[in-house]
Amino acid sequence: MATDPAVRTVTLTIDGRAVTVPPGTTVYQAARAAGIEIPIFCYHDRMPPLGACRMCLVKVDRMGKLQTSCTLPAADGMVVSTTDPEVVAGQEAILEFLLINHPLDCPICDKGGECPLQDQTFRWGPGRSRFVEAKRDFAKPVSLGPVLTLDRERCILCWRCVRFGEIIAGDDALKGFERGFTSEINTPFTLPVESKFIGNTIAICPVGALTSRTYRFRARPWDNEPVPSTCTHCGLGCAVWFDVRGGEIVRTRAREAPAVNDIWLCDLGFFGHDYVASGERLTAPLVRRDGRLTQASWEEALDLVASRLRAARDRAPGRVAFLGGRRLSNEDALVAARLFGEVIGTPHRDHRVDAPPGGASLEVAWGLRAPLEEIARGDVFLLVGCDVTEEYPILWLRMKAAVDRGAALLLLHARRLEVRRHARWERLVRADRLAAETGALADALERGAAGPPPGLEAAVAAIAAGRRVHVVVGRFALDGPGGSAVLAAAVRIAEHSGGVLHVARGKGNDIGAQRFGLLPGAGGWPAPEILRRAAAGDLDVLYVAGSDPATAVTDRSAWDAARRGVGFLVVHEAFLSATAEAADVVLPSLVLPEKDGTVTNLEGRTLPLRAAVRGPGAARGDREIFSLIAARLGALFTYGTGDELFEALRAATPGVEAGAILPVAPVPARLAGDVPAGAVAAGAGGGSAELILATIDHLFTQGATTGRCRGITALAGAPHCLIHPDDAARLGVEPGALVELATGHGAVVLQARVTDVTAPGQVLLPRGFDAVSAYALVRWPHAVVAVTVRPLVAAAAGGAP
Amino acid sequence: MTTFAMPESIVLRWAQTPGMTELEPYRRAGGYEAARRVAAGELAPEAVIEALVASGLRGKGGAGFPTGQKWKFIPRQAPVTYVVVNGDEGEPCTFKDRTLLEGAPHLLIEGVLIAALTVGARKAYVYLRREFYRARRTLEAALEQARAAGLVGRGVFGSARDVEIVVHSGAGAYIAGEETALLESLEGRRALPRLRPPFPAQAGLYQRPTLLNNVETLCHVPVILTLGPERYKDYGPPALFSVSGHVVRPGVYEAPLGVKLRSLIFDYAGGLRPGRRFKAAFPGGSSSMPLVADHLDVPMDYDSLRVLGSMLGSAAVIVIDDSADMVEIIARTVEFYREESCGKCTPCREGTIWATQVLERILHGRGRPEDLALLEGIARGMTGTCFCPLGESVPPSLVASLRHFRDEYERYIAGATRGH
Ligand SMILES: Cc1cc2nc3c(=O)[nH]c(=O)nc-3n(C[C@H](O)[C@H](O)[C@H](O)COP(=O)(O)O)c2cc1C
Ligand code: SF4
Ligand code: SF4
Ligand code: FES
Repeated sequence: MATDPAVRTVTLTIDGRAVTVPPGTTVYQAARAAGIEIPIFCYHDRMPPLGACRMCLVKVDRMGKLQTSCTLPAADGMVVSTTDPEVVAGQEAILEFLLINHPLDCPICDKGGECPLQDQTFRWGPGRSRFVEAKRDFAKPVSLGPVLTLDRERCILCWRCVRFGEIIAGDDALKGFERGFTSEINTPFTLPVESKFIGNTIAICPVGALTSRTYRFRARPWDNEPVPSTCTHCGLGCAVWFDVRGGEIVRTRAREAPAVNDIWLCDLGFFGHDYVASGERLTAPLVRRDGRLTQASWEEALDLVASRLRAARDRAPGRVAFLGGRRLSNEDALVAARLFGEVIGTPHRDHRVDAPPGGASLEVAWGLRAPLEEIARGDVFLLVGCDVTEEYPILWLRMKAAVDRGAALLLLHARRLEVRRHARWERLVRADRLAAETGALADALERGAAGPPPGLEAAVAAIAAGRRVHVVVGRFALDGPGGSAVLAAAVRIAEHSGGVLHVARGKGNDIGAQRFGLLPGAGGWPAPEILRRAAAGDLDVLYVAGSDPATAVTDRSAWDAARRGVGFLVVHEAFLSATAEAADVVLPSLVLPEKDGTVTNLEGRTLPLRAAVRGPGAARGDREIFSLIAARLGALFTYGTGDELFEALRAATPGVEAGAILPVAPVPARLAGDVPAGAVAAGAGGGSAELILATIDHLFTQGATTGRCRGITALAGAPHCLIHPDDAARLGVEPGALVELATGHGAVVLQARVTDVTAPGQVLLPRGFDAVSAYALVRWPHAVVAVTVRPLVAAAAGGAP
Repeated sequence: MTTFAMPESIVLRWAQTPGMTELEPYRRAGGYEAARRVAAGELAPEAVIEALVASGLRGKGGAGFPTGQKWKFIPRQAPVTYVVVNGDEGEPCTFKDRTLLEGAPHLLIEGVLIAALTVGARKAYVYLRREFYRARRTLEAALEQARAAGLVGRGVFGSARDVEIVVHSGAGAYIAGEETALLESLEGRRALPRLRPPFPAQAGLYQRPTLLNNVETLCHVPVILTLGPERYKDYGPPALFSVSGHVVRPGVYEAPLGVKLRSLIFDYAGGLRPGRRFKAAFPGGSSSMPLVADHLDVPMDYDSLRVLGSMLGSAAVIVIDDSADMVEIIARTVEFYREESCGKCTPCREGTIWATQVLERILHGRGRPEDLALLEGIARGMTGTCFCPLGESVPPSLVASLRHFRDEYERYIAGATRGH
């Protein structure tokens, strides 16, 4: 039965049928390929076989015992039966063993109707139970954090969830505890599970043992209508199913997309849909009258907007500017670009609302420069200022698979990453040292034999030996002090190693906005300049859609000044955001899960959106609103159906095809303009300038959308900052205590987490918590400022600050 | 009754001679000479392996795999290779490894050195059962002496070869004695058996080629090299039997492989207590199917016991006389496996708990006539379906007890039925 390695295929017989498969195929896979179903529980085709549940038994000629087909390599001449009475008896026995301690609460179980155990019991199970003993008794479901619930009685100990954390996510989120019949899945001390991917364990759990607290008992699977669409949170564009019931998205599931997310999602994708159905959605236009926003008809609001635009255009088209795009579809972006570019004729359009002036984010096109599938084949990953799991979780899954095959993960950041235990090299530096450190790495590589400076050896060796190097520069690096210098050094590293440089920048549909015209035209101003000009009184109308500049602009005062300086502010919004509150007209708009169309992911891939639900009240799609305004300005956009619009997209940008990648523009070799490396703005008067403050990305936040998703809000936890234990000790900051962070520009009060995730001398402040205006502490052109930290002892003791 | 003369022992004697825990007496008695010859290159690795093959030595840990062949499997060109010694000795009523560890630690160290030098390992781990406190102290002290004398560590026996030996204690799980679970445990994880292939010889500790042998197995190695495989074989070849239970002189006995069960019980171990009749015996630890009086003349070797559906296992003979309640014994045995099941696979995890629940019910007078068929059904469901031999060792004993001692079960059930 030996397989000759020279032979390219093996042929075996399964249930009398000849099946030919490549060597290395298991009998289970071979049977499946031939359309022969073998029941499984523990096997999952994205993980190596385990052989634990023993359900997949088959009989093989000349092998004494029954064999588990999921672990058995197919061999030439093998004769396999999946229906032999011995096999049937074996499978019946396994099912009976699984059922003896399984509660029979199927009627109230979320998995009912999509439960492999239920299905297989129906097909292969013994008719009745011979079990008369007391069933295993666990305390009813335990809560493992804000989104995960574990019912240990239902668990059949298939180990899939545990292995997902070990093999796929690399976060070891769930583990096995105890032994034998007392075995259970849990976290140490039943603490909240620490993972960005736990929703996947719910998806692959073959029974209803793992359930989500947001979906638990909400619906029976057969009542849901699944709508295929694309997740628009982080920008990687994972394929999803929105399960809709009663006009509401009740659950998000991964839709298989081998090139993008395979079959996985991150928890932001899984639990990030509640906001759509929020009761706080805007349902009617608002117009400012006597200083207050009051409801108006669409006619009235649109007429007003059109007249102000017309007036401004007539004065000079450049007195109108457009900001936003992240939350628009490709089609929305295209129509917006036509409205502002062609009809109004202003070049001042920019989706890069969160980019600081002079930062490297404004110098390069955003996006990955290689497909995710190619990244998965990389052998070196250098992440500079990119916190991959906090920013692009699914990108990490690709890297994890490569790291397991021996790829080197190299980390250079001002914070320790949670994936650091998979790293071959990690360098934690203060934000103001990132540029120098990246430069040192580039220098060392270029010097070659001269011997790298201490601490860089492992990184230099790995990059020098790498054949498929991927250098990923993240937002923190691009927009931090010396962003251009970081980028320039990264370009050198990528060039020297023959690797690919990725600009990991952009969320939602930023890449689509970039592609379809929401970038400055000839002579147009980038976003920070638009704000400066607005403040200076150079604009009559500022038009915002698909963005919330009041919370996104990284210098709050720059936004406030712009608002004060501009005569008329129009905002498309789903919620009464901080920007909308300050607007003159607010037009209620649909959110992406309510739209048909396309988006562009970070690879530059065009992905489909399908409206899962209808919008609330009189809310309208952004492109419809743009078209209505264009009509009032005398331009008729006649895009009938979505297909015609997509044709317009293809005409506007040759190379755009559904599902395909159109690469983003290459990184220019020469880069310019920056705050000098290491520059830090002076601190608050009198305070020690030893501490600097920098903002970081978090996957789970409390913003306008995430703050309206129960699971995400809970995962995000309270607003907080990270402070190093040495600094905390020096300043008398207790872990968890309230502190006041003060810079020369403002102060906030929040919780301090004392952790060596941050470097000494540096306080990190997660952005995206609207309750704490991180950007009120920052003043352009500086991304990093000196800060003083003052513990609020009274607050820690329970009193009011 | 003829008087029985116990044959001279060649392995066990090292543990029974006083003073052998010390380096000097051990060396004076010829110890470490075989290891020195291997280190000096006087005995080439091929020659060592050839001698082992010729000796017929088979693993003493339970599976009985031919040792010479196992050593041959270790790839010689691998950059890193390990030797791991299985000193977990968790099989109930097995105590030969402990006897060797406590009495002849240098014999084991010598065996480990020979193994490491032969397969090209620079590091060896001795995985000891948690409860072996004395054995660990004795072994560590002996290792210290050997290290000080230059026999362990850098440049052993003045050669250019390094062999470091590290002692590690388990956390108290029977399954950790299974070789792949042992490796998991040694690497710091829960002791759950691994899928094979790959076998430890290909990818063992830290995924490197690993030679894994039982304590006793390695203790035979210096003896074989010293006496030569032919003279070694003349002694039986020898095996260490741990005889316990209802015998007059329980203990470890060295006897030729193939010794009759009857002789082990009645000659070596002094027979049963006065007035007692033989009822049953586990020939190879609690994992082997128990034998009954009809089987007393079976030769205690691998093949003869396999033919009977049992096995030599760890050669631990547990003798049961007619004072014992067989249902209780089987219930206690199955309970042991229930407690020690690692929980990885379904049939063992669930079958052991179910079977003990049924057995407990029978013992507590709540048995039903259909319970016997149910027990047979549970046993059938576990047979050939478990991931590792731990679960697989439950059904044979359960089934044998139902066959040979059905009347005892029926008495319990009849009592239960009458009680209603
Ligand atoms: C459940 C189980 C427990 C075992 N316990 C031990 C043990 O305690 N000691 C031991 O040497 N072998 C034990 N073994 C056998 C080992 O897996 C392995 O076969 C042996 O250590 C190899 O060494 P050997 O070839 O020298 O016998 C056990 C096997 C199983 C399945
Ligand atoms: S919780 Fe679900 S996935 Fe995890 S071991 Fe139990 S049954 Fe399997
Ligand atoms: S038979 Fe299964 S549950 Fe039992 S010890 Fe082996 S692997 Fe673990
Ligand atoms: S599916 Fe094969 S053993 Fe679980």
